[in-house]
Amino acid sequence: MTKLEAKNIVKYFKHDSHRLTALGGVNLQIEDGEFVCLVGPSGCGKSTFLRIVAGLETPDEGEILFDGKPVTTTGPERIIVFQEGALFPWLKVQDNVEFGLKMAGIPKEERSQISKRYLDMMQLTKFADSYTYQLSTGMKQRVAIARALVMDPDVLLMDEPFAALDAQTRDLLLVEMQLIWEKTKKTILFVTHNVTEATVLGTKVAVFSNRPSTIKKIINVDYKRPRLVEDQNLFPLQQEILSELRPEVKKS
Amino acid sequence: MKKITLTKQIIFYIALISIWQLVSMTNIWPNNLFPSPYEVAEDLVYTASDGSLFFGIGTSILRLIVGLAIAIAGGMILGIFMARVEIVNQTIGSLVLGLQSIPSVAWVPLAILWFGLTDGGIIFVTAIGSMFSVTIATYNGVKNINPHYIEAARNMGAKGTQLATYVLIPAAFPYLISGFKQGWAFAWRGVIGAELLFSFLGLGFLLNVGRQLNDISQVFAIMLVIMMVGIAIDGIIFKRLENKVMSRWGLR
Repeated sequence: MTKLEAKNIVKYFKHDSHRLTALGGVNLQIEDGEFVCLVGPSGCGKSTFLRIVAGLETPDEGEILFDGKPVTTTGPERIIVFQEGALFPWLKVQDNVEFGLKMAGIPKEERSQISKRYLDMMQLTKFADSYTYQLSTGMKQRVAIARALVMDPDVLLMDEPFAALDAQTRDLLLVEMQLIWEKTKKTILFVTHNVTEATVLGTKVAVFSNRPSTIKKIINVDYKRPRLVEDQNLFPLQQEILSELRPEVKKS
Repeated sequence: MKKITLTKQIIFYIALISIWQLVSMTNIWPNNLFPSPYEVAEDLVYTASDGSLFFGIGTSILRLIVGLAIAIAGGMILGIFMARVEIVNQTIGSLVLGLQSIPSVAWVPLAILWFGLTDGGIIFVTAIGSMFSVTIATYNGVKNINPHYIEAARNMGAKGTQLATYVLIPAAFPYLISGFKQGWAFAWRGVIGAELLFSFLGLGFLLNVGRQLNDISQVFAIMLVIMMVGIAIDGIIFKRLENKVMSRWGLR
């Protein structure tokens, strides 16, 4: 079943006086439960595309269909995780995780039952009463993921969530992310500039071209999980993606 | 470190009072214009023992609290609207800047005509004299919120008053604190100034009585009290609040 469909998404940016075409007609179809990684040269608009799917920005042309219905605004069925997590420093970890539930008017006891489950899943139980400034970058990103999962969204949108992490923490989270996906069966859209990350995580990797961006190629990653960063068998696929990317990066 | 600072301060004030005593003993200025510290202390003990001092302090602080509460509530609401609704900023925003430049005592004639010689008039002067600095601080605070906080919150279903109470105000709090501090300083000036002119109870009134009776030591004594109440409120309430917020928000 098709969960998300992008139909000819066009987005302009104003740059001084002239108009830049960031997205030049992006078409993408995502099935329910797929894990799709979006890679592309920096500045190609892959994050903008993600924000359009989240409903935080509107396309100048084209439309996003969610379960066949056009997306007009942001909604809890499509939750975004930002690169820096965007956790609320004035709230404890648990209250951060429960934020969306509180907005939905769910009573306190029920909220803490739900959040406990996800804090446990992300190994955060010990830190439930900490404030975010007391956490490492990796921990913060776990909280951000827990906060998104608590909403039980149909689609998880992740905007380079591991870009600011050190290598060891990232490798650990790459394995956890696969487990989460297998456990929750969420549809995931994951923006990254890291090709290895994309092949480790994705069932599909969509390669963006340089501006005006379109999707140049979609590569299926059919390989057993959990996949590890150092797995040599993913190497040919990574080379294939890189050979698609390289000319685009040069153009930018 | 803290102890050393305190010791230095104690030595400084002892020296200051000694110099004051010496100067008053030389009779450069006549005693009815420049009292000795002893006479001022005597006056303080006298006004304290008949209760009029504490009644004055209490009255002034009560007016301050009510006026400042109105200023903070009104100022925050106005500031949030200015930051979030462009048309409000373009129209009322310019008026706010103008109104902020009016010294609070300049509102006194208007307050007397509108409210008569009542508490209401003094509270009006206090509130209006400090409201716009809270407004401007709130505006700046909300404008400087990390946009990802607002996007994440909207994505999780927060809007309207929910967004304001659970995200905008706490996220802007480091700015709000400085607005409150400035607001309180303006409010304190407003209360004393209004009481002087209204001549209707409070510390400003006692100050004016001192002038009318040519009682220079009372004038000195009340000015000292006004200063000490100011130091106390600043140190007990605002310093603590600021320290707490700064560390919580990870700014220190």
